[in-house]
Parts: sequence; structure tokens; C-alpha cells
Amino acid sequence: MATKKISYNEAVSEIEDILEKIENEELDVDELAEKVKRVSVLLKLCKDKLTKTNDQVEQILKEMEE
Amino acid sequence: MRQQLTLFKLNQQIKEALNEAFPATVWVVAEVSELKENRSGHCYLELVEKDEDKIIARARATIWSYTYRMLKPYFETTTGRFFSHDIKILVQATVEFHPAFGLSLNIKDIDPAYTVGDMALQRKEIIERLRNEGVFEMNRELQLPIVPQKIAVISSKTAAGYEDFINQLENNGHGFKFYTHLFEAYMQGAAAVPSIIQALENIFQYDDFFDAVAIIRGGGASADLNCFDNYELAFNISQFPLPVVTGIGHEKDDTIIDMIAHTRLKTPTAVAGFFINGVELFYDRLVQNESEIVRLTRESLDDNQQRLERMAVEINQMASSFIREKSDVLSKKGNRLHRNVNRFAFLKNSELNNLKHDLQSALSIWRVEKRNKLDQKRRVLKRVAGEIVLTQKNYIVHLKELTRHSSRRFLQTENERFHLNSETVRLLTPVNVLKRGYTLTLKNGQIVTSVNQLKIGDAIETQFADGKVKSKIKKNKL
Repeated sequence: MATKKISYNEAVSEIEDILEKIENEELDVDELAEKVKRVSVLLKLCKDKLTKTNDQVEQILKEMEE
Repeated sequence: MRQQLTLFKLNQQIKEALNEAFPATVWVVAEVSELKENRSGHCYLELVEKDEDKIIARARATIWSYTYRMLKPYFETTTGRFFSHDIKILVQATVEFHPAFGLSLNIKDIDPAYTVGDMALQRKEIIERLRNEGVFEMNRELQLPIVPQKIAVISSKTAAGYEDFINQLENNGHGFKFYTHLFEAYMQGAAAVPSIIQALENIFQYDDFFDAVAIIRGGGASADLNCFDNYELAFNISQFPLPVVTGIGHEKDDTIIDMIAHTRLKTPTAVAGFFINGVELFYDRLVQNESEIVRLTRESLDDNQQRLERMAVEINQMASSFIREKSDVLSKKGNRLHRNVNRFAFLKNSELNNLKHDLQSALSIWRVEKRNKLDQKRRVLKRVAGEIVLTQKNYIVHLKELTRHSSRRFLQTENERFHLNSETVRLLTPVNVLKRGYTLTLKNGQIVTSVNQLKIGDAIETQFADGKVKSKIKKNKL
């Protein structure tokens, strides 16, 4: 999965999907570890995207000036 | 003679007639088509009346500065729009006619309520039209992205509201990153509508990039919001593919743009707050998910741990009871085996006893039989032996007789031979041999018959007929 390009919507729905699975006890311990790792990656991704400047986006904005 | 009038006189008469006809003020409804203020503060207007788009009446009008100074703010605060062209007004005026300048209306008073009503009517018509065209709800039906982070801003660079907006976004408490780009436009006056539409068209090229459009403008009591009640602009905004958020700084009734915008807010600061709040909600959701996943994971791990422990206990119990069960079965089988063995042993034992008994009786029968047979044989043997003994006894008597005769004869013969041989024996006696000069050599009392029995230094005895000498061997085998 191309984690770089994942949208907020995709990320949060994947996270909440996993949450639901954990809540419904659909995961065994091995899957749980894997999914929790995935969630932490997604959380980090979202937080970074929220707070850190994305150069590609800045570049597009700069192109609009021209 | 034809009556002749100078133009001046004519105009004088017109003026008098008009004064007679309109001795007092009249209330006139008209549309302002042009408006000019001169340096001394007088206001010059051109009033028209239209039938559809065709002008069917036209007149000049003036508002003298002392009146205008009062009327203008009164009108503007009441209607919420500039006193300018393209508005319909109801004014109280005197009809003036100047011989040199012609007809003019001198405006003394104005009734802003008429304009307000007219504006409301216009708005109503625009709203009606937008509804009929099915576009009124379109922008409001768009979904605002979960994180409104990239904002296209329509405003004027110099507007205080724009600066407030940017400051608010950049200094949000969470350090969220917002991306904005200003698409400049006039925010009031006649140029506002086309320039805002142009800005929207520019944004449209990047509609994939931006999350939302903000139309913002600094407030002010004298703000003219007329341009935001415009059909063209409303039509463009309603169908714009991005959600439009307005913050055009007014406290009064919503403009049409506000009504059709996705979200209507009062000020640019409020718009910034709205976006920040949107991102905050998402951030809170993330944080909540984060703590939820920590909690659930911990719970799940605890559950698993408990289940394992429970299983361990169960297995232990099951194993114990299994062992107990098997042990019971085993000991039961053992008991049965023991009983069976005993019974078997008992059976075999009695069988054995029976056999022994049978064997003993068979044996005694056999023994009796054997004894009888033996007795019989002994009797036969005794009889036969008796017969044999008797025969042999007779034979021995016969032999004894025979032997007595034979031995007597044998002895006689032997006696004669003995006498013959004794002379020979006398000659061969060792003493007689020694007497004849032969000696006997002895070593250690043993007769030496060969030189080989002796070695140098051996002591030997030589027996003569009349005695012995001892000598030692000096030489060997001459």
C-alpha cells in the first residue's frame, strides 16, 4: 500500500476499521500486533501531514504565483 | 400678428406654469442611473425609469450639500448599501426649472424603506430564480473535506480582514499547517462581481488541489453588500465544485451569497476559526483513536493472558481427572485380573490335583501290574535258573573229574621238566657268573649297562664275586 499518498479519509477509516475489529475481537494476537503497528504508522502519517510543511504542496502554491 | 416669445420668456413661463402645477414637494420613485458628488459636497444625479430595459423617463436631480450630508448616512445605515447608482429610491423633491439649465428635481428627503423593500424584492426574485434553476442548495450539498487544510482565498490583499484571516490560521494553537493562496478580487463596487467570478474561474483550474474556498472581506458599518446579492455571482458560487465559506463582515441579514455558500460566517476570523476547528476535530478523532487503540490492545492482551491462564488451569484439571479416571480403570482392571488369575489358578490347581490323583491311581495300578508281572517273571526266572543250575552242577561234577585227571598228568610232566632246567639255572646264577670272572658295575646302587650312563668324575662300584671296589671315572669312551 502506498502509504505516502494515503488520504486523511482513507487513513482514518482504516484506523477505525481496525479499532472495530479489535473491539469485536476479530483479530488474533499476531494480527493484533501487526494491525497496531499499522495504526501507529497511520497516526504518525496523519499527524505529520497536519503539522509539517509538505514541500510538494508548497511547490504547487508557488506555481500558482507565476 | 404672430405672437413671439424669446426663449428666456418661454422658459420663464414654463417655470411659472411648473410652479403652479407643482406648488409643493412631490414623492417620486426613480432609479439612480448616474451619481456625482462635486467638491462643494453637492450631489448630482440622473434619475430614470425603465420598462424592462428601455428607459421611458429621465430627469436630472440635485441634492444640495447641506441636505446630502444628512441624507447619505441616513440612507446608507438604514439600507446597508452605498448611496450610488443602480438603486431604486423614493425621494421627496421639488420640481425646479431653470431657464438656462432646464428641468431638475431638487431632492429634499429620501425614504430608505422603499429601497430596502425594493432590494428585498430583488433578492427574493434572485433566490426564486436560483431555486427554480435547482442550484440554490448545490454548494451546501458538497461535503467539506475531513481536513480543510488547503484554502483558496478570495479577497483583496489590502483588506484588514485578509490579514486577520491569515494570522489566525498561521498562529493556530496546535501548530497545524494550512496552505492558502490568495486569488485577488475587488470586494465592493461595480467591479466586485466580475472580479470575484474571475477569481473563481482561476481557482477552478486547481479544484483538485484545494479543499475549500474562502470569500472574505473586512467589515464596516458602511459596507456595501449589494454585490453579494447578485444573481450571476450566486449562480457561479452555487455550482462551484468546492465548498465555499463566506466571511464578508456584516451583521445584518445574510446576503444571497451567504445563503448559497456551503457555510456562512460573519468575519474572516470566524472563517479561519472554522477551518482550524475542522482540523481540530480530525486531530481529536486521531487522538481519541490512539488512546482507544491503546486501551483496546491492552484489554485484548489482558484477555488473552487470562485465557491462557484459564486454559492452563483447565488443562491441569483435565489432565488430573484424566489420570484419575485412567487410574481407576486400571485399578479396576487390575482387580478383575487378580480375581481372574485367582480363579484361573484355582481352576488349574484343581485340574492339576485331578491330574495328580489320576496319575497316582494310574501309577498304583501300573505298579501293581508291574509287580505282578515281575513276580511272574521272577517265578519263571527262578524255575529256569533252577534248571540251569542243576545242569551246570552236573557239568561241574563232570569237569571236576576231568580236571583231576588232566592236572595229575600235567604235574607229572612239569616235574620232569623242572629237574632238567635246574642245572641250567645253577650255571646262570650271578654269583656263579661273577665267580667265572665277570663283574657288575653299579652307580648309586644301580646296574650300569652302558658307557653312556657314565660321565667323568662319576663314582662307580664294581661288584666282584667276593666283594666290591669303588672307583672314579677318569676317561670316557676309549
